[in-house]
Amino acid sequence: MKALRVVGTIAVSVFRESVRDKVLYNLVFFALLLISASYLIGQLTAGQDVKIIKDLGLAAMLLFGLFIAVFIGIGLVSKEVERRSIYSLLAKPIRRHEFIAGKYAGLVLTLAVNVAVMAVALYLVLACMAVTEPAAVRAAWEAPAVDPAMLEAILLIFVELMLVTALALFFSTFSSPILSASFTVGLVIAGQFDSDLKHFRAIVHSRAVADLTRALYYVLPNMAAFDVKAQVVHGLPVTAGYLAVTTAYGVSYVAAVVLAAMVIFARRDFR
Amino acid sequence: MASTLPKEIRAGTAIGLTLAALLFATSVSLQVVRDRDFPAPPVRDEMLYIRSGAVMRRLTLSFNMIAADIYWIRALQEYGGTKLSPQADKRYPLLYPLLNITTSLDPRFDLAYRFGAIFLAESYPNGPGRPDEAIALLEKGLKVQPDKWQYMQDIGFVYYWWRHDYPKAAAWFSRASRAPGAPWFLRSLAANTLAAGGNRTASRLMWEQIYDTAGSEWLRKDAAWRLQQLNALDQIARLQAGADAFHGRHDAWPDGWMAMVRDRALPGIPVDPAGTPYDLNPATGRVTLSRRSSLWPLPTEPAPRGGPER
Amino acid sequence: MLAIRTEALTKDYAVGFWRKRPYRALDRLTLEVAAGEVFGFLGPNGAGKTTTLKLLMQLIYPTSGRAELLGRPAGDVDGRRRIGYLPENPYFYDHLTAEELLTYFAAVFGYRGRARRDRVARLLDEVGIGVERRLQLRKFSRGMLQRVGIAQALLNDPALVVFDEPMSGLDPLGRRDVRRLILRLRDQGVTVFFSSHVLSDAEALCSRVAVLAGGRLVASGRLGDMAAFQVRGWELVMTGLDEARVDRVRDRLLGATRIGDGRYALELPLESAPDRLVAELSAAGAELVSLNPVRDTLEDFFVEQVTRSAASAPPRWPAGGGA
Repeated sequence: MKALRVVGTIAVSVFRESVRDKVLYNLVFFALLLISASYLIGQLTAGQDVKIIKDLGLAAMLLFGLFIAVFIGIGLVSKEVERRSIYSLLAKPIRRHEFIAGKYAGLVLTLAVNVAVMAVALYLVLACMAVTEPAAVRAAWEAPAVDPAMLEAILLIFVELMLVTALALFFSTFSSPILSASFTVGLVIAGQFDSDLKHFRAIVHSRAVADLTRALYYVLPNMAAFDVKAQVVHGLPVTAGYLAVTTAYGVSYVAAVVLAAMVIFARRDFR
Repeated sequence: MASTLPKEIRAGTAIGLTLAALLFATSVSLQVVRDRDFPAPPVRDEMLYIRSGAVMRRLTLSFNMIAADIYWIRALQEYGGTKLSPQADKRYPLLYPLLNITTSLDPRFDLAYRFGAIFLAESYPNGPGRPDEAIALLEKGLKVQPDKWQYMQDIGFVYYWWRHDYPKAAAWFSRASRAPGAPWFLRSLAANTLAAGGNRTASRLMWEQIYDTAGSEWLRKDAAWRLQQLNALDQIARLQAGADAFHGRHDAWPDGWMAMVRDRALPGIPVDPAGTPYDLNPATGRVTLSRRSSLWPLPTEPAPRGGPER
Repeated sequence: MLAIRTEALTKDYAVGFWRKRPYRALDRLTLEVAAGEVFGFLGPNGAGKTTTLKLLMQLIYPTSGRAELLGRPAGDVDGRRRIGYLPENPYFYDHLTAEELLTYFAAVFGYRGRARRDRVARLLDEVGIGVERRLQLRKFSRGMLQRVGIAQALLNDPALVVFDEPMSGLDPLGRRDVRRLILRLRDQGVTVFFSSHVLSDAEALCSRVAVLAGGRLVASGRLGDMAAFQVRGWELVMTGLDEARVDRVRDRLLGATRIGDGRYALELPLESAPDRLVAELSAAGAELVSLNPVRDTLEDFFVEQVTRSAASAPPRWPAGGGA
C-alpha cells in the first residue's frame, strides 16, 4: 500500500537521523554502567547483587528511554518546520497524516532498538552473575537471575515510552521545543501520581472537586500502571490479563494522541 | 587533513598546556597539604534531610526500586563504617531511618527487614541496641506480607535473644508456626521457650536457622560468629568444670593452664573457636574468654525461666 | 489546458499578540498560466509572491478563493505527482548527503532500486553537482543548496514546476545554468512558473509575466505587449566626434552626452532612423560603438507600478479590524 510505503520511508529516515545524531551511543553508556555496577556491587551490598542489577537495568532502561523520547520527540515536527525543510517534503505526494505517522513510527523504531539492545545487555550481565554465584546463593534468590518474567516489565516500559513519545510528538506539532518539553515532562510526572487522584474522593469534601479529580484521573495518562518492576524483581507474578489490558490502554491512548496530532498538523499553515 | 596552525598559536599551545599542568599539580599538592594540616572533621553527622519514607516514595516516581537499593547501600555503609571507625557515634543514629526509608521505597525488600532485625537489636558496641526499632521494622514488613513466617520468627527471636521476654517470644514463635510454609520446629520452639525460657540448645537452633537461610554473606558470617560464641560458652562450662575438679583434687586453683595440663586434665592449652587461648584466673579459678578474642564480648544469654542471668 | 488557475485567491493572517488583526497578504488574485509557458511572477519583497506559491502547494490554506494546478485542486495529493516545487532559500537535512536526500525524496515518490539510483545520479549531473554529492548538506554553500533544491524539484519529471526565486544565491555562472535549464524545460513542454524580484531574468525567459505589489496583482500579460515596454527611442554611442559635429545634428537628437575623448552618447527619438545618422556621421570620420533600443526597463515599470499601487491601494488592514 502506497501510504504504508511513504510512512515507512519517513520512519526509516527518522531512525537514520537518530543514528547520525549519535543517540544510540547511550547504549554504550548503559552497558558500561551495568558492567561497572555489577563489578562494584559485590563489594558493597551484602548479597543483593542480582536484585540491584535488575533494579538498575530496568530503571536505566526507562530513564534513558524517557530522555530519548522527550528530547527527540519534541523536535520531531517543530525542528522540521523551523528549519523549513518541511516545505520540500510536503510538496511531494504525501498526505500530512502520513508524515506524522512516519515520524512517530521512526522514533518508536529507534526506541525499540534501544530497549532491545539494553534488554540483551541486561540479560547477559545477569547471566554472567548467575554463572559465578554458588548454588546455595542462587537458591536464595526470589527470582532467577536470567528471568524471562523481566520481559513483562520491559514490555510495559516500552509501552510507556511509546506513550511519552506520542505526547512529545503531539506537542511538537504546535508548540516550541521548550514548551513541548515542559508539557510532556509535566504530564509524565502527573501521570505518576495519577492513581492518587482516584483516592481523593474519599478525603475531599466538595462534590465538584471530587468529580473533577475523578475525571482527571481518567483523562491523565496513568503512568504508574506501566510500572511492574517491583513485582518482577521480587518474583511476583504479573498476570497475562493485566499485561494485555495495560498494553491495550497504552496503545489506545497512543492512537488517540497521534490522531489528535495528525488533525492539528493537517490544519496548520506553514508560514 | 589537519591545518597547519601559525607559529604563535603553536607556541601558545605549549605554554598554555604546561602552565595548566603546573597549576593543576599545584592545586593537587595544596589539597594534600590542606588535608594533612587542617583535616576536616569526620562528617559522621551525615544529614538525612528527608526522613519520611512516604515522601521519598513520592519523590522517586517510578524509580523507587533503585532508590531503595541506594538507601540499602547507605544503610550498610552506615553500619560497617560506624563499626570500624573508632570515633564514630556508636549509637548508629542513621541506621534505623535509612532502613525505614529503604523498606518504604521497596516494601518487599526482604533482606532489609531481616538485617534490620539483627543489627538494630544488637547491643553496644556492635550495634545501636534498639530491639524496639527492630521489632517496629519487622512489624512494618508484616503489614505488607502478613503471612511471612520469617518476620514473625525474627520478632520472636528479638524478644528471646535481646529482650529476654520469653512469653512474648513464645507467642511470636507460635504465631509463626501457624503461618503457611512455616518449618516444623517452630511449634516445639514455641512450647520449649514458653516452658523452659532460654536455653542454649534453642539458641543454637535459632542461630543455625539464621545461618542456613541468611541470603547474605554478612548475616551468615554474623550467625557463624554467634554460633562460635555459643560454642565458646560450652567450652568455658567444660573448662570451668575441669578447674573445679582440679580445685577439688588439690584444694587450690590451678595457677595456669599448664598446671592442668601437667595434671592430665587437659591435652593442651585450650583455645576458643576463634583461636585465642582462654583466660584462667589463678586467684578465683574462673575461666573466661580472653578480652583479645574476636568473640569478645560473649552475649548475655537468655536464661532458663526463673534462672539467673549469667 | 491550463497549468495553473486561481480565482480570487486571498490570504489573511491574524497578526498581533492580544488583539489579533487580520493582515491581508494576498488580495483576490486571479491568474491563469497556460500549459507549456514560462511564466514570471514578479514583485518586490513582501509583495505576496511566496504566499501565493505556498497557497498553490497548499503549504498554507486560503482564506477564500480557489486554485487549481493541472486541472486538480491545489493540495490534491495525486496531482503533486506531476508537480515539482522549489521553496525559497531551500534548507534540507544537515546530516544527509545530497545523494541521500534525493534518494529519500525519490523513495517518497515510490521509485525503487536501480531506477531510483539512476534517476538520482542523472539529476545531480544535470544540476552540476559532482563529487560533492557524497558530502553532507551541512557543508554545502548557498549556491549548491539551490542546485540541490532544483534537482529535488525535478525528481519526478514533473509537467509543472513551481520555483520560488530560483536564481537566488547563485553566481552569474549559476544563473546562466538555471536560465538554460528553464529553457530546456520549456523545450520539453514543461510549464515553468517562477517568482523573482530580479527582472532581467524575467526579460530573458518569460513569455508572460504578472506583477504583484502589496498583495495585489497590478499588471499581467505578454512582456512585449505591455505598453510600458515598447521601444521609445535609440541610444547611439560613437567615437571620433567633437562638439561641433554634434551641434550640427543636435536638432535631430533628444539629447547628447559626452562620455569621453571624442566619445558621445546620442539619444534619438523613435521616429528618426538611426542608420541614416550613423551613415552621415561615419562619412565625417566617426565610428559606431553601439546602437541600442531604449525602453522603459522592467525596473522603471516596476517602480512606477509599485509606487502607484501603494498610493492608491486600499489599506492592507481591512476596516473594522482597527489600524
